[in-house]
Amino acid sequence: MKRSILIFACALTGFSVILTALLIHLAAYWNFSERFKQEAAVELDYLRAAIELAGIEYLESLRPDAFDPRVSLIADDGVVLYDSAGVVSDMENHANRPEVKAAMENGSGESTRFSETMREQTYYLATRLRNGSVLRIAGTTDSVFASLGWMILLTLAIIAAVFCIAAWISTFAARRIVAPINRLNLELPEDNAAYKELSPLLAGIKRQNDRIAAQIAEMRKKQLEFSAVAENMREGLIVLDGEARILSCNQSALNLLHTRPAGFENVLTLRRDEPFRRAVEQALGGASAESMLFAEGRHIQLIANPITDGGEIQGAVLMLLDVTEREDREKLRREFSANVSHELKTPLTAISGYAEILSNGVAKEEDAPRFAKNIYAEAQRLIALVNDIMLLSKLDEGGPELPKERIDLFAQTEDAVQRIQGAAAKRNIDVAFEGESAEIIGIRRVLDEMLQNLLDNAVKYNVDGGFIRVSVVKADDGVTFAVADTGIGIPREDQERVFERFYQTEKSRNKAAGGTGLGLSIVKHGALLHEAKIKLHSAESRGTRIEILFPAAP
Amino acid sequence: MRDSYKKQLEALHVSLIRMGAFCEEAIANAVKGLLDEDKGLAADVAQTEKDINLMEREIETFCLRLLLREQPVAGDLRQITAAQRIIADMERIGDQALDIAELSAFMVGSPVKSDIRIGDMAQATVKMLSDSVDSFVGSDLAKARSVIEYDDVVDNLFYKVKDELIVLIAKDGKNGGACLDLLMIAKYLERIGDHAANIAEWVEYSVTGNRRRD
Repeated sequence: MKRSILIFACALTGFSVILTALLIHLAAYWNFSERFKQEAAVELDYLRAAIELAGIEYLESLRPDAFDPRVSLIADDGVVLYDSAGVVSDMENHANRPEVKAAMENGSGESTRFSETMREQTYYLATRLRNGSVLRIAGTTDSVFASLGWMILLTLAIIAAVFCIAAWISTFAARRIVAPINRLNLELPEDNAAYKELSPLLAGIKRQNDRIAAQIAEMRKKQLEFSAVAENMREGLIVLDGEARILSCNQSALNLLHTRPAGFENVLTLRRDEPFRRAVEQALGGASAESMLFAEGRHIQLIANPITDGGEIQGAVLMLLDVTEREDREKLRREFSANVSHELKTPLTAISGYAEILSNGVAKEEDAPRFAKNIYAEAQRLIALVNDIMLLSKLDEGGPELPKERIDLFAQTEDAVQRIQGAAAKRNIDVAFEGESAEIIGIRRVLDEMLQNLLDNAVKYNVDGGFIRVSVVKADDGVTFAVADTGIGIPREDQERVFERFYQTEKSRNKAAGGTGLGLSIVKHGALLHEAKIKLHSAESRGTRIEILFPAAP
Repeated sequence: MRDSYKKQLEALHVSLIRMGAFCEEAIANAVKGLLDEDKGLAADVAQTEKDINLMEREIETFCLRLLLREQPVAGDLRQITAAQRIIADMERIGDQALDIAELSAFMVGSPVKSDIRIGDMAQATVKMLSDSVDSFVGSDLAKARSVIEYDDVVDNLFYKVKDELIVLIAKDGKNGGACLDLLMIAKYLERIGDHAANIAEWVEYSVTGNRRRD
């Protein structure tokens, strides 16, 4: 701004100074030379009059230095008769000088001749006398170029001075012009009263401001939506740019990776093990990748996808899922299949073995009934096992086809107690049953299975001559069924696990009581189906008490 | 210009994290090979060790170029100086992990190692290295200092292992060879602990500008 003002001011003033100087000079010079010529003409007239009267002697009577301008008298043949500037005899014939020639022909003549250096010019004026000779005067002045030379120097000095002033003024002017522009409030462009020339610009700025504000609001809303979604999801979400820098990272991701963001924002600051690195590198290389990570006892599935824009990779999105439960379930399923196969195989192997001996005829006659009995027992075990598994899988599906009905838990329990009396009596186990009639909503078959399993356990894992106490009582929030025995008990470390399928404590296995390992699992699933709660109290070698709290029938 | 310089410093930091991760993998695999008697892991460790050596050379060149071209001062200069020293320590860790992996191959089937606390010592060393790389990643002064303190734990475990080995040799001379191999492994682990402590010291220097004297 200042620069352009300065250049403009300097050019303008410089041009006008030069033009003015030139014109004034030319006018003055023209004026001066006209005056000079008039004076010369007047002087020539005087001289001519004097010479016409007094002859050449008049000239000679004058002192040579009295003449300025120079005076010459030239005869009609061109010979110089008199010259105030020098010796006549040295001078060449003047007949060919243009002013002399003109004077001889027309009565008067003039011419201007420059010196060799062009610094000076001489003006000649000649007139023809009556006797035919020619009188000439000459005056020398600085030539137009010489005077112009002086003039140019002077002009340059003026221009230099003008430039200095222009520089100062333009600085000042620029500051003055810009000051109101600098004071413009671009947040509220219409409130400015600077220059009216700026109004279109300010209007444009206002339009732009409005558009930007709208866009920012839109972006903020989107950002808010994104962070609301990202922060509230259980899955970890990390967005990376093309150089693996973290653009956004939600709290779940930090929690899952058990880390906090370090100062440096590369994703490797969060985690740096090989599966993680590989997935990130693959995603940034343009391919989707999956990895399993392990952090603080949790299995975390990492899904990495590239973000592309027009075929170019802009970054990557990392998704972190806690799949510990899935992994655990998977493990459970594998264990269950392995257990089922094993449990099915054991009786089958025994049956096959006995059957082989019998069919080969190597068995002694008297052993045959024992073998047949064993085959029968193992087959019964198989049937029980398959029944249990079928019931369990039915319970797994939520027992949809089993009808719920109003059941008196007391009566149901009484039936079950009746059924174990025989087995208990064989081992001198006392069974006490007490309680009151209490109705619940339940599935008769499942309920019967649960009670039977619990009571069977109480007998199976009891000591000979032990004691079983069974009760059904109404509680504040439902009906409590309880069975307590004086058996081998469950070690504390196993209490969590006895409800798992096929889990049997060390002692119960050794006892070879013939359990399938599925009884308590059925109880647990049955209780779930009835929305009942199970409580287990047990001390090793002292006994077990299991309580089931059923919700009361409405 | 300055922007690209900042990016280069960041790239240096990331490549050190990567090299640290490789060291962690090398030592973890070496220890796993020793404890689980997995012979195949020795080849993995050898490959990782090669990668670590390559990284050391690359990072070294990178550091020199940064020093020459950017003429860093103050914190940046410390960061680069520390990086030059850290990669030297990391390279040694890689070498020692390979040494352990090679010795472990001879130990397969030897019952001696279940009698001594070499497993504890290996776990302690892995944890120490992991923490020291963590302290570097986050420029975490507190963590760096805890790593330096933790070196005593590893050192003490080394003395315990040594005493246990002496008792074992005294009891039965037949196991002498295996015991000596185990002593070497214990010593390598102890050295790795020292290098991890060195890394932590360089992190401390990089953050505070003070060098520990000991």
